[in-house]
Amino acid sequence: MKLKTHIAGVAALAVMAAGGATVAASAQSTLETVKERGHVRCQVGSPSPGYYNLDSDGNWYGLDVSVCKAVAAAVLGDVSKLEIQSVSTQSRFTALANGESDLLSRTATMTLTRDTQLGLDFMPPNFYDGQGFTVRKDSGITSALQLKGAKVCVTTGTTTELNLTDYSRKNDLNISNVTFEDWNVRDDTYLNGGCDAVTGDKSSMAGNISSFPIPADHMILPETLSKEPLASAVRQGDDGWANIVRWTVYALINAEELGITQANVDEMRDTSTDPNVLRMLGVEGNLNVGLGLDKDWAYNVIKGVGNYGEIYEAYMGSGPQGIGIDREGTLNALWTNGGLMYSPPMR
Amino acid sequence: MAIVTAQKTPDRQPPLSETSIIGWMQKNLFSSITNTILTVITLYIVYLTVKGIYIWGFADATFVAENRRECYNNSLTGACWAGVIDWMDNIMYGRYPRDELWRINAGGILVVLWMAPLWMSKVKGKIFIGISVVMLYPFLAGYLFSGGSKGLFMQVMVSGAIVAFIANMLNMIIGLTKNQSLVQFLLRIFNQNNASDKTQRNVILGIMIISFLAIFLWQISFNLEKVGWTQWGGLFLTLVIAGVGIAASMPLGVILALGRRSRLPVVRVLSTSFIEIFRSVPLITVLFMATTMFPLFMPDGFVLNKLVQVIIAVILFNACYMAENVRAGLQAIPKGQFEGAHTIGLGYWGTMGLIVMPQALKHMIPNIVGNFIGLLKNSTLVSIIGLFDILLMLRSISRDVPWLGLHREPLIFGAVLFFILCFSMSKYSRHLEKKLSTDNKS
Repeated sequence: MKLKTHIAGVAALAVMAAGGATVAASAQSTLETVKERGHVRCQVGSPSPGYYNLDSDGNWYGLDVSVCKAVAAAVLGDVSKLEIQSVSTQSRFTALANGESDLLSRTATMTLTRDTQLGLDFMPPNFYDGQGFTVRKDSGITSALQLKGAKVCVTTGTTTELNLTDYSRKNDLNISNVTFEDWNVRDDTYLNGGCDAVTGDKSSMAGNISSFPIPADHMILPETLSKEPLASAVRQGDDGWANIVRWTVYALINAEELGITQANVDEMRDTSTDPNVLRMLGVEGNLNVGLGLDKDWAYNVIKGVGNYGEIYEAYMGSGPQGIGIDREGTLNALWTNGGLMYSPPMR
Repeated sequence: MAIVTAQKTPDRQPPLSETSIIGWMQKNLFSSITNTILTVITLYIVYLTVKGIYIWGFADATFVAENRRECYNNSLTGACWAGVIDWMDNIMYGRYPRDELWRINAGGILVVLWMAPLWMSKVKGKIFIGISVVMLYPFLAGYLFSGGSKGLFMQVMVSGAIVAFIANMLNMIIGLTKNQSLVQFLLRIFNQNNASDKTQRNVILGIMIISFLAIFLWQISFNLEKVGWTQWGGLFLTLVIAGVGIAASMPLGVILALGRRSRLPVVRVLSTSFIEIFRSVPLITVLFMATTMFPLFMPDGFVLNKLVQVIIAVILFNACYMAENVRAGLQAIPKGQFEGAHTIGLGYWGTMGLIVMPQALKHMIPNIVGNFIGLLKNSTLVSIIGLFDILLMLRSISRDVPWLGLHREPLIFGAVLFFILCFSMSKYSRHLEKKLSTDNKS
């Protein structure tokens, strides 16, 4: 047994050296595996406000968790038929590739390299984020271009740090980075006057500001440094499964557009005359056939987690578990309100 | 004329400077001007620290609140213990279903009760107790914690464990009250204490089989609800990893140490290279290997429980350190002990098991316990690979929306908790050393 471990270890090194990303090409489709197993394995990260979080009773909640639940509802008809795995940033992509999880729903920014080189298929973004700066209101700074020579607190090891350096170079700002491993310490340093500004994703910073002793003393500058379309992802090579997850996300957005909510979904199914609603909820048509799901898959999704607007309100907006980011006028508004949340027609 | 006192004059009281506190202070703290200044400065620093901690942690602190904003409303600068209190179940048990927490508590109480008789001098049959806690308790605890439907093997082991536990408890009660072992007591009840060995054995065996069958039939009637390992967490998970790690790495370490000193070249080379390779790699590397690389070499769809992978990695890693500790102990044993053992006709295992190993382990108690403490603290590394052990749970409080950004209080709480755990282990090792000390060195 000892020897075996060694051989495995040496072989592991060899594969790593060769740079080969092994993708398990299982004979069975993911849908079949999931149905046989009886639950969906969904991968999130270690808790991150708004996206995936533990409450004090040990339940997961958040935007990305809702996507997991929606997929479980679509495939198995029940949001609780779900095993949420929390995987570290370092092993997130391997865990998906080697079949430990069926779905990665953990604020991964969709980029060309990741989409093409990691054996992943990205799904439609469920949140558009962007990097920005937080400053003290009394500092008199109203634009990021005024941050000349400033000390900026940033968490290390992420694209955030690189974006900051790029931005500083492009605009000749001569910003000095003060780096931290943990954003809690970063914020504490900023609050104690250790730096003039904090940089990070605007969504998470909005949440953090709300937890500062006096939130009204701080503000986020208007500039956005980067594009961060956050999306879930599935293993490459199983198009059927990718379709299911993709259209589950679209169903959330489409439901909001059609005015279907968790509360009125039963009523809509029984009394609506809108053919779009009837088709989506499985009363008419056969949307489910191509996906290989039950007729009422979208009904189960909305019944289980609500539509995108409701989810946003609960976890990103002003709900009791929300981090309080306004939706109006942002990229995350529905396309009819000038945002980017747009579902192709479901017919 | 000589005066002879027939009685001894009574001892005079020692001078006040030796007995009173003031005398002691004068001698130790204020003996010179420099010392006086140093004492005052030190006392002032201690005062400032304690005062700061007291004001932050108690006077200005909030213990009851719904969320962090309420803590701020109470005091902007004080600690917010309410978050830690609100999360206490998570910190202790992880995401374990709240209705099933009694199972973890029961598992904890069981092991304490099971092992308690080992410390009672009146109780007989300690070897039986020791063996049963290592061989049977893990199955009972494993089933209590994970639940699900029992296979035949689990049914047998669980029933066996329950029988052993009940016997152990009865044995303890009888030992404490009547100063007898359970076996003697049973034989007396059945009036067999003067019967032949064979009859006695049959009676005891019969009682064992009957009680086993009774328990076996009883346990078929119920099953505990299944709780997947992803729901394990908090201090419970930390203790499971550390506990299994300690229990398994000890025997494995002894075997490796013997292997390294073996005269058989294959055994020696294998043991040595195993120890050296695992010892030369950081634990976190071993953990990453076990959780991310290992599954890539397994056949498709083969998903091993991540917790098991982690525990195996911890055991293998720690066994190497244990092996080196044991080997150090072995080297301290004089050659005469080996030769003495040989002259009374003991073979290799007899020599090692009866003469050498007990002495070697006794010498090494401080190192071995130090290693256990290290293992307990190292086990928090599993939070990096995403297991919700106590550290990750404590850190997650600052992510929960009601307690967003609350990160200092949980970590301080964790530090205190770890101090209590590690310090009691260290105190216990001192106690063991004293108890086992046979004073053959001074």
